[in-house]
Amino acid sequence: MLEVTSVSAGYGALTVLNDISLKVDDGEAVALVGANGAGKTTLVRTICGLLRARSGRIVKNGTDVTSAPPHDLARHGLAVVLENRRLFGELSVRENLVLAETVGRKVRRGNMRFTWDEVTALFPVVKERLDSPVELLSGGQQQMVAIARALLLQPDLLIMDEPSTGLAPKVVKDILLVIKALRERGMGLLLIEQNVGIAAEITDRAYVMAVGSIVHEVGPGEWQSFLKDERLIRAYLG
Amino acid sequence: MTLSLVLQAIFAGVTNGIVYAFVGMGLSAIFKGSRVINAMQGEFAVIGAMTTVLLLTKSGWPYPAAIAGGVLAGALVGAFIEVAFVRYMAKKNASEDSFLLLTIGLALTLSASILFFIGRDGHLLPPIGGEGVLLVLDAVIQFHALWLIAIGIGATLLLRAFCHRTTVGLSMMAASIDADGAATTGINVGRMRTYTFILGGLLGALGGILVTPLISVDYTLGLNLTLKGFAAAVLGGLTNPLGAAVGGITLGLVESLAIIGISSSYKDVVAFSVLIIIMILMPNGILGRAGRRGG
Repeated sequence: MLEVTSVSAGYGALTVLNDISLKVDDGEAVALVGANGAGKTTLVRTICGLLRARSGRIVKNGTDVTSAPPHDLARHGLAVVLENRRLFGELSVRENLVLAETVGRKVRRGNMRFTWDEVTALFPVVKERLDSPVELLSGGQQQMVAIARALLLQPDLLIMDEPSTGLAPKVVKDILLVIKALRERGMGLLLIEQNVGIAAEITDRAYVMAVGSIVHEVGPGEWQSFLKDERLIRAYLG
Repeated sequence: MTLSLVLQAIFAGVTNGIVYAFVGMGLSAIFKGSRVINAMQGEFAVIGAMTTVLLLTKSGWPYPAAIAGGVLAGALVGAFIEVAFVRYMAKKNASEDSFLLLTIGLALTLSASILFFIGRDGHLLPPIGGEGVLLVLDAVIQFHALWLIAIGIGATLLLRAFCHRTTVGLSMMAASIDADGAATTGINVGRMRTYTFILGGLLGALGGILVTPLISVDYTLGLNLTLKGFAAAVLGGLTNPLGAAVGGITLGLVESLAIIGISSSYKDVVAFSVLIIIMILMPNGILGRAGRRGG
């Protein structure tokens, strides 16, 4: 379980996140939606330890990870697919994955949630391009490598920041199928997404962010009514 | 100009070029891993060579052990500089200019320390492989030069294997390509930066030890090697240590051929003029855009 309580964060003199609280239970899929500049990516960076929280607490599976360095994320069962994927473009697909697998093996001490074969089976295109430099892959293929790399860290909660941005509809569909398959295996998911349609398709509930704060919550079973509420959509998502 | 003279110049060029390559590879590894332009890279060569000289002559260590000690000294100084200075400045978000100033300051400090503690005399190490020479079409090649070439090629191949076939090497490459991506993949980016300084110190020291049977080492050698190593690294694409190896050999050859073509007095002028022309024609380095990638 991930629990973010009253977290504030920012860059220099600028405060971007104000008193954010959210929770993702084991195996639950939660979306974080909001317009550009709402602070979604800043929140992801804060949860991951790439940005230090100025106040508040972040707790993962009962352990306070507020000050944990980002390279310790996997030890706490957390993996993230950052915005723009942040792969190692000069390295091959295999090298990108081997790095994550090595860390995953240490974390799980051999008791792997996702083996190499399982992960590459989820993404046949990744398996075909194992020896290609990542920078030569298409955006969609890179996104699949990024998800595969995150899974090899053996997380129980996967954070995905804008996984559909800039991808062709067919590729987005393929990625959503994989996410659904992961959910069936009990993987928790925190999905950061501007496209509320996609968020509604694969998550149970959502937090809506605007100007650095959580301004609305979409509870279980409330997605459809939220999507129909033009006033809310216009107010928070632009 | 006879064939044997050209051949002699080529051998000398390759020999010197490999020394520049060692300094350039270290400089490039550190730049790739930390974005620090290390203006004291040549000082690693002086540290390695001086430590080896002292261990051999003052402490009576066997030559191989003294060489190992010299290489270790370079690696340890590299680690010390990263931990004591670079890490602290990086936490404070220091700019690239500040790091450059830091390493210039450290280079001058080290040079002055060597002058103060060891003196201004030059020192030579015994040639590896003995004093013998090989004659090829009347061109004379010292056995040491052959060893130097063999060690240079071996070290370059080992570096390549280290970068692509070991977890630490891959992690260092990953951290240098995308620090955030590496950190969220479980890689301790700060530790990898320390390792790149260790690698840079080790390569620089090895270059210094290998050149000292050919050129005497004193407190002034560092700056000259830094300039040559920097030229080698830029020629090879700066972020690619293997490109720096190619750049070093190119520089050595141009310099050596300039001596027989014009005059030894003008070798640096000719060599750097040719390098400027190469950089104008190939702004991404002699390996092109690919030279900016890889390890």
